[in-house]
Amino acid sequence: MDAARDRCVTGIENLDNILNGGIPRGNTVLVTGSCGTGKTTMSMEFLVHGALMGEPSLFLSVTEASDKLLKNVIPYDFFEDSLIKKGKLIFIDLPVVYELFGMTKGELDFEDIDLLVKAIADIVRDLGIKRLVIDSITSVCYQLRTEEKIRQFILKVGKSLSEYGCTSILVSEISPSSERYSLYGVEEAIADGIILMGNLQRRGDLLRTLQVVKMRGTNHSRAKYVLDLTPSGVLLVPLLKGGSI
Amino acid sequence: MNAPEIAKKLEDIPPGSAITIDMKIDSYFDFIRATLDLFATRKDLDCIYVTSTIPSESILNALSVLEVDIDRVYFVDCISHSMMGKTSQSDHVIFVESATMLENIMLKVQYLMKKSKRENKVVIIDSVNTLAIHNNTKILSEFFHILLNNLRSKDAYIFILNMEGQGSEDLDSMMNLVADDKFRIPAGQEENGDGNGGGEEASE
Repeated sequence: MDAARDRCVTGIENLDNILNGGIPRGNTVLVTGSCGTGKTTMSMEFLVHGALMGEPSLFLSVTEASDKLLKNVIPYDFFEDSLIKKGKLIFIDLPVVYELFGMTKGELDFEDIDLLVKAIADIVRDLGIKRLVIDSITSVCYQLRTEEKIRQFILKVGKSLSEYGCTSILVSEISPSSERYSLYGVEEAIADGIILMGNLQRRGDLLRTLQVVKMRGTNHSRAKYVLDLTPSGVLLVPLLKGGSI
Repeated sequence: MNAPEIAKKLEDIPPGSAITIDMKIDSYFDFIRATLDLFATRKDLDCIYVTSTIPSESILNALSVLEVDIDRVYFVDCISHSMMGKTSQSDHVIFVESATMLENIMLKVQYLMKKSKRENKVVIIDSVNTLAIHNNTKILSEFFHILLNNLRSKDAYIFILNMEGQGSEDLDSMMNLVADDKFRIPAGQEENGDGNGGGEEASE
């Protein structure tokens, strides 16, 4: 199974080890967690490494304006401004796309979904995008409202991206107490992979954690890891159990 | 045993070794001085110093009085935050909120290992006794097992300080299990014939 699929090496060394070499190329992965768990930072690093490896990478920002986002990103040791200038790392604010296609009403209908999927697919095809992040899919889902429309959007966008060999991350926001991996429950069922990020409280300490719950097309560890966001990128170590059962 | 004598003893240790250093508190600064002189100055290595015993600032002040070059020393300070004191920002010091956050200690060591451009590094863990104040032996064993194996694979020289008389049987068994060897630094009066250590290297 592992050898059959080409890998999209995330460049996050420990994560690639957990995934047995990287995300199977073309997969749509849900990166999910509550606020402050590092979802955006990790997704951004995935794109920066891709751009450094020569793969055009696109960040579709839904909740935050790209320029504000860039200011708040950790100053990576490996980041190069030229990636943006050369068009290897591209930022697009999704609300601009909505406006361009006249999707200004609060709720998108099935026709809008087709238009939006086509718009994203056209950008990916025209710019040769190999890595895409949508931050966040939850905000897109707010405008879709029904499970049926969310299902249709994710299925269609995932299929289009996969056809172009584009590996995508859909950032999903959930509440800390959520028992599901996504707000509507639909996103997690359709995605090829789920990476769950969380805050673990232990004896008064708050640890950031990461766990690969599912990843189609590869064997992977399902253990929980503790992560740190550093200028050298995301670092991971196993969560210590201390003999607990 | 003074600093040059300790340095001489440490000279033949191969990279990728994890050594427990059993010593009395009197030898504390002699050991640090010897290690930094041998590995940082003479062997030109970066030193990662994990302290849960005394704040990095106090160690830095003491080293500066002893005129030890600290350019290549990077601290993972696990005690200053817990003391709720003021912590000064420095490129050479990374703080971990509490000595109970063992995973974060591993992550900070990993970060400094990654950041350092030098091929080999020396890592000092100061000390197993103070880490044991904040953590039980089970989680501490797991921590050392993972950390030391990781550092060994990167050919680091690893020294774990163990203060004599401050440990327990459990702690000694754990260190015997996770470390490769043990080196005992005799206190001054022992060398003068008042003790029984004699400066011998103890092997497991």
